[in-house]
Amino acid sequence: MGSVVALVRLQNSREEEIKNSIYEASSLIGFKPNSSVKSVVIKPNLCYYWDADTGYTTDPKVVAGIIDCVREMCGKDVDIKVVEADASAMRTKYSFPVLGYEKLAKQKKVELFNLSGDVLIEKTVQVNNREITFKVPQILLDSDLFINVPKLKVMRATKITCAMKNIFGCIGTPRKVIYHPFLNEAIVGINKILRPHLTIVDGLVALGRFPAKLNLIMASADPFSIDWIASQIMGYKPSKIKYLKMAVNEKVGDPKGVTTCGAKIEEFAKLFPKEGLLSTGFLWSLQFQLLKTYKKMVGDIIPPVLEE
Amino acid sequence: MIKIGVIGLGRMGMLHLINSMKIEDVKVVAAVDSSKKALKKAKLLGVDRIYEDYRDLLNNQSNVDAVIISLPNYLHFESIKLALESGLDVFIEKPLANTVKECREIAKLVKKSGCKLMVGHCFRFLEAIEKMKESLDKGTIGRLEVATIEEVINGPFAHPRVPAPVSDWWFDPKKSGGGALLDIGYHMIDLFRFFAGDAEVIFSSLDYKFSLPVEDGAIVILRSSSCSAKGIVNVGWYQQTIFPKYNFRAILHGNAGFLSSDYLVPRNLYFHAVKEGTKNLLRRIVGKRIRYLSYTYYYESFYRELEHFFDCIKRDSDPPVSVEDGLKTVELIQQAYRLVEQSCMKREI
Repeated sequence: MGSVVALVRLQNSREEEIKNSIYEASSLIGFKPNSSVKSVVIKPNLCYYWDADTGYTTDPKVVAGIIDCVREMCGKDVDIKVVEADASAMRTKYSFPVLGYEKLAKQKKVELFNLSGDVLIEKTVQVNNREITFKVPQILLDSDLFINVPKLKVMRATKITCAMKNIFGCIGTPRKVIYHPFLNEAIVGINKILRPHLTIVDGLVALGRFPAKLNLIMASADPFSIDWIASQIMGYKPSKIKYLKMAVNEKVGDPKGVTTCGAKIEEFAKLFPKEGLLSTGFLWSLQFQLLKTYKKMVGDIIPPVLEE
Repeated sequence: MIKIGVIGLGRMGMLHLINSMKIEDVKVVAAVDSSKKALKKAKLLGVDRIYEDYRDLLNNQSNVDAVIISLPNYLHFESIKLALESGLDVFIEKPLANTVKECREIAKLVKKSGCKLMVGHCFRFLEAIEKMKESLDKGTIGRLEVATIEEVINGPFAHPRVPAPVSDWWFDPKKSGGGALLDIGYHMIDLFRFFAGDAEVIFSSLDYKFSLPVEDGAIVILRSSSCSAKGIVNVGWYQQTIFPKYNFRAILHGNAGFLSSDYLVPRNLYFHAVKEGTKNLLRRIVGKRIRYLSYTYYYESFYRELEHFFDCIKRDSDPPVSVEDGLKTVELIQQAYRLVEQSCMKREI
């Protein structure tokens, strides 16, 4: 059965307000960490070097709020690591300073950890009759509390990207582009292996056709339920999102019983800049196809950066 | 026929290689890169000789008349020196070199060798800039008082279509020579020199928003030595830009009017691409020469600068962007860095 998703609307994006909203959202879903929690990993989405105001990456202020909440709930001595893996075009050694995470780590006295440098455990799963092998960082399997902190945004390949796609970002192999030919299966596959205890969505600035201030914090214990609700905020029918459909078939998630509490979906849906026809993946491919045809017919040059 | 070698097949090098192949009486006979994938692509494009080390080409340069160098900044000096000593004409991507000392040595070598050297100051070849320069020279806006020139883009953080990580040399000041100021401020400062002649730096401020060892933004104020004009240069790497958006503009304020590049570049880039593409298609049908890369408006400048370079080899004339232009631009950048250092030292005292 799906679980409860809390939606909390912030009045402003000051640190104290963010922290209170995270508290409120966690309480609404009844989240209480186990008293024996000693190690915590927080996984924001630092997919590229474009900062939180562009809608691409998790705001360090949200992670700061989570760190404060965790310390209040689990004790000051709990070991907290903010983690991210290198990606095909991103290196954490640059994204941590560029996106303000080095400053955050100093302020909050937490460790920044590159998942790609961890011991990677090979795990194989079956999704949609396809066997997929992932290299999974050991720290994510061993931690007492794993908090997933995705961003709310659209993506050409999968229409939306939120909680389940952020787990895909945990794969230790930097060249995750190898999974892109079967991205939907890969997202579902890695979510079979890694199950965060809590997901807090940074919806302060969301990304649709352009970035928009939603001032939203979402929380749930179930990434699938988060994505089911997030897709509705972003203007999609969840049942039309391929990886969500696949997740239902593979029993990674169950839409029955997914409920919301706190604010209403519509409050945020009306603010979200929904994708237009011109920004769909199909039209982007069409543009590049037209360019190639033009090159063939006319003999003009296409800059390699567009052609590759 | 000018036989050339292309050294460095990154984004710019590969573009130069493809552009050169379309220029009349030019043949790309050799290519160099440390990446096997890039070399394979060059081979597929029809380049006969490929090398993994530029020294192998330059030490064995029989059958090559000129080279295009698009290596990381810290390799500019050594590769230019070797090419000039081998008697080859050189087209070098900006900056000419990382330090004024290296630039001066290159200038001496150019003189001694008699070879041609052109620096890739591509902005001078943008149609909008050419038109502005022409109007300014004609006196249309009277005397130039202030020029504001700015470019805010991704810099090294531009997301390629096929994802690849940014090279480490960008953020190592010893290798890159600097950050956004050297990367894009270089072009803006050169444009001020293009409009107002030689200049000096009177104010400079650098930003380190990204907490990296090199600056990610800069504001520099210049004063022309030959007229009273001032230039305000504003550059940054902090803006997420997705093709075809392009955040560059130059505004010339004269005492009788103003000129803005915003009025001289296409308003709607998609419409412009379709219009120029259709024109080219018609040119092809009626057998006329097509205008390469005009559909992108700013990539066209990379093609045109190479046309000028090869033209000056063919005609045995001086290149439109000389080694002195490269040297003076690097001098101004060093001045800007020095001013910031001095003001930091003052604050510490």
